[in-house]
Amino acid sequence: MVLQPRESLTMSGDSTEQVIKVENLKHTYDGKYFALNDLSLGIKKGEVFGLLGKNGAGKTTLIKVLTTLIRPTSGKLSILGMDPNHYGKEIRRRIGVVQQGESFDFTTVEGNFDIYAVLWGVPREVRLQRKDELIKMFGLQDVRKQRSFDLSGGQKRRVQVAREMMHDMDILFLDEPTTGLDVFMRRELLDSIKKEVRQGLTVVFTTHNLEEADYFCDRVAVVDQGKILAMDTVENLKRLYRGKKTVEVTLSGADAAAFFAKLGEKLPNSEIKVEGSSAIILAEDSKEALQRIMELSQVSGIQVEWLNVRKNTLEDVFIGSVSRGEGAE
Amino acid sequence: MDLPNILKLVYRNIKVNVDPGTLIILIGLPAMYLVFFGYGFGSMIPTTGGTTAFLTFLTPGIMSVQCLMAGTVGGSMLWADRRWGMLAQLLVGPFTRLQYLLGIMLTSLVFGLAGALVMLVGAYLLIGSLQLTLWGALVAFGVIALGSIFFGSLMLLIAGLVKSNNAYNSIQIFVIFVVNFASTVFYSFNPNLPLPIQVLFQANPLTYVANAARGGFVGSFPVSDIWQVPLLVVETVVVLAMATRVYVRSNISFV
Repeated sequence: MVLQPRESLTMSGDSTEQVIKVENLKHTYDGKYFALNDLSLGIKKGEVFGLLGKNGAGKTTLIKVLTTLIRPTSGKLSILGMDPNHYGKEIRRRIGVVQQGESFDFTTVEGNFDIYAVLWGVPREVRLQRKDELIKMFGLQDVRKQRSFDLSGGQKRRVQVAREMMHDMDILFLDEPTTGLDVFMRRELLDSIKKEVRQGLTVVFTTHNLEEADYFCDRVAVVDQGKILAMDTVENLKRLYRGKKTVEVTLSGADAAAFFAKLGEKLPNSEIKVEGSSAIILAEDSKEALQRIMELSQVSGIQVEWLNVRKNTLEDVFIGSVSRGEGAE
Repeated sequence: MDLPNILKLVYRNIKVNVDPGTLIILIGLPAMYLVFFGYGFGSMIPTTGGTTAFLTFLTPGIMSVQCLMAGTVGGSMLWADRRWGMLAQLLVGPFTRLQYLLGIMLTSLVFGLAGALVMLVGAYLLIGSLQLTLWGALVAFGVIALGSIFFGSLMLLIAGLVKSNNAYNSIQIFVIFVVNFASTVFYSFNPNLPLPIQVLFQANPLTYVANAARGGFVGSFPVSDIWQVPLLVVETVVVLAMATRVYVRSNISFV
């Protein structure tokens, strides 16, 4: 079941309009480390935009800044054409936010929906209809009378997302909404959100799950150490690496770092991401990479424990971007 | 009709916090004070009129306790919102930090006045009659409202400055104990008390509330205590301003 079309709060109907513009954004919590470091991006109206990055990359800080919860240290920011420093309340009236952590009132699922609707000024008739639709859409019929805190992790996340959709909005921010969910629940939740997105909503979605970004987003930005390392459509990012294959290698014994450093010298056109005694290599020429690995193994006496060659995935794009970013440091 | 934001927040606070636990703290504890202290002290303290006279004396005091209890509920609301993620959730909604703060403050006020009314009815049922003029009731409830804002602000200020829920709970229990018993809620001020306790009595805002509420009940106010209500107004303004500053200007940590 799809919700009734809702009145858009945005005045302009131009689909190329950028509803979020960020220029040279910086934010530091302690004056030393920059959680956001000269970050710039633009998000168009109706776009599902993914922020992809490992834990601590700066995704949640960016969401907090975009949702006016914290003020950036420096940089320019425009949300729905407004400056958050001056129009925070007006912006918040037009956005929805599903935060990474739990947020519930100590009452039933229905009670949470009702209170939220009152807070957002949703008229009673609309509230009753919308609540029933959302409860059905998100599969919460059996738990609607239960206290939110008594629900399972997956049910809680669904309640949080569904509750946010009680009110009209122009932009929906979803900060890792599928954390802690199993693969089936993830897909169910994303499908439910997708139905809403068809209404023309702009969605900013953070995740460290690459399959999710692939499934859900029109465009993604790979974020690491507060910087955007790559930003494009999922397809274009994949295309960048289409000619390349991924070589996965695990060594046995010590001195893996020196081994991979030498390997990097011998494969200047490849990107190598090292994790302990393992590495993922995005290789221009996988045959050459295999040959160099075997040569180095013989010369150094370090045994190759495991070796695998496969086609690249979005995860490889992500790893490639992150390793390029680290290399540029 | 769309309600003003602060009233929406008050509605939410009341809806979420009218649970058995809160009601026990808010009404159950003062009601027990009324019954057990009323009959216990009433039978021990030599008063003309016995237990009934002491209950009559105690009633405005116990009504005044409501502003302290409502204040502690206000501080607990803030901690619960931090603990369960609703503070951050509300602050990314169409509310300002000041509205959130005033929402809790107004909720404390509602709880304080409602609790005082329940205590008044409870006292009437125990005693069988109460002499209270309309003017006296306005004075009593007016000063309890003021006290609710004072203690609501004080507990919000403490909740904002303290870094853990356990620390907040410990401070809250300490404040309830000291403020309740070093006040004129249960007994009159006695000049024979040791000097430090006299000072504590005289500096305690609950003493000012209890004295003024009692003045409303008996229809007269001792000239020697006339400075107390203006001082309470000033203290309320100062503590409210400090609590507001903590929430509006500083970064709140979202637990």
